[in-house]
Amino acid sequence: MAMIHLKIVTPQGKFFDADAQRVMVRTTGGDVAILPHHIDYSAALAEAGQARVVEVDGTVRLGEVQGGLLHVSSDDVQVITNHFRWKDE
Amino acid sequence: MAGASMKDIKLRIRSVESTMQITKAMQLVASSKLRGARARMEASKPYMKVARTAVWDIALHNTGAQSHYVIPREISQRCYIVIAGDRGLAGSYNANMFKRIEWDSRDAACCVIPIGRKAIEYYSHGRMSIITSVEKVEGLTLEACGDIARRILDSYDAGEYDEIVLAYTSFVSVLLQKTKLKPLLPLDARDAPERTNRQMLCEPGADALLKDFLPQYLAGLIYSAACDSFASEQAARRVAMDSATKNAGDMIEDLSLRYNRARQSSITQELTEIVAGAEH
Repeated sequence: MAMIHLKIVTPQGKFFDADAQRVMVRTTGGDVAILPHHIDYSAALAEAGQARVVEVDGTVRLGEVQGGLLHVSSDDVQVITNHFRWKDE
Repeated sequence: MAGASMKDIKLRIRSVESTMQITKAMQLVASSKLRGARARMEASKPYMKVARTAVWDIALHNTGAQSHYVIPREISQRCYIVIAGDRGLAGSYNANMFKRIEWDSRDAACCVIPIGRKAIEYYSHGRMSIITSVEKVEGLTLEACGDIARRILDSYDAGEYDEIVLAYTSFVSVLLQKTKLKPLLPLDARDAPERTNRQMLCEPGADALLKDFLPQYLAGLIYSAACDSFASEQAARRVAMDSATKNAGDMIEDLSLRYNRARQSSITQELTEIVAGAEH
């Protein structure tokens, strides 16, 4: 099964760097879900939103994102933000 | 060893010893701070790499017209963001930075945003006009960097400056730190990827997206440069204090030798006097 490679980075460190099935984030235009084989895409993230990551084994992790950028380039998906926090940590 | 009495030498030894204690303590503090600073510096690297690529992808993305953040302007006004140290006693760490900028700034009218107490001190004597400043490099927050980023973006948009350069010190190793000048705006062309002509969807539009993300990107750049500089400062101080401690040790050794010599010669003299007295 095709996967995306997701990276969640902030200047304070990397929060996620692995394959995933799917990621959902809130952009300024609304919620988007990125699946494998998405076209190259860039969008501004909403000032306060939730990120929902479906990992390879199907586990779902939730995180809080404050602004930033969603960048997709050939199955490399990057969430670039200044503030990120996992809800389960 | 003419002149100096035993007491004088003893006093000097004491004073060198207390200096040595201070340099030793500063060295230890610097090494422990260096450890934390290096960790922060390493943590910010993945972000910079990813963000740089993303910004350039958007800036160069398929539209014919390039963003005005990419096109270089004729330079008549330049603004430096100078990250120097919070304290002195770090070898040539601060001086190197100021010298580099002095050399680099000859070709244009310049102003400066100093970060760190030493930088503020240096530029407050009217060398360049200060736009705004940040007192401390240690513990510089992303929010503070964000304020600077927004400010320089606004004045760049308004055409007040033609180039904005970030001056920081890059940590190569404990023994080697290099001063770096990095153009922030227009975006550093050295970071540009080989141009790819692919299609990309931007929401909302490439220009709006760039305008939205640039303050964050620049804040990240300043933040990571500050982490880098702080690590360099600690490394420079550690090395400087290490050699100061060694020098103090050498000095004490030398002074102890002189002290013993002075003591011996005074004993010899006393003996000679006694023997001479007994002969008469």
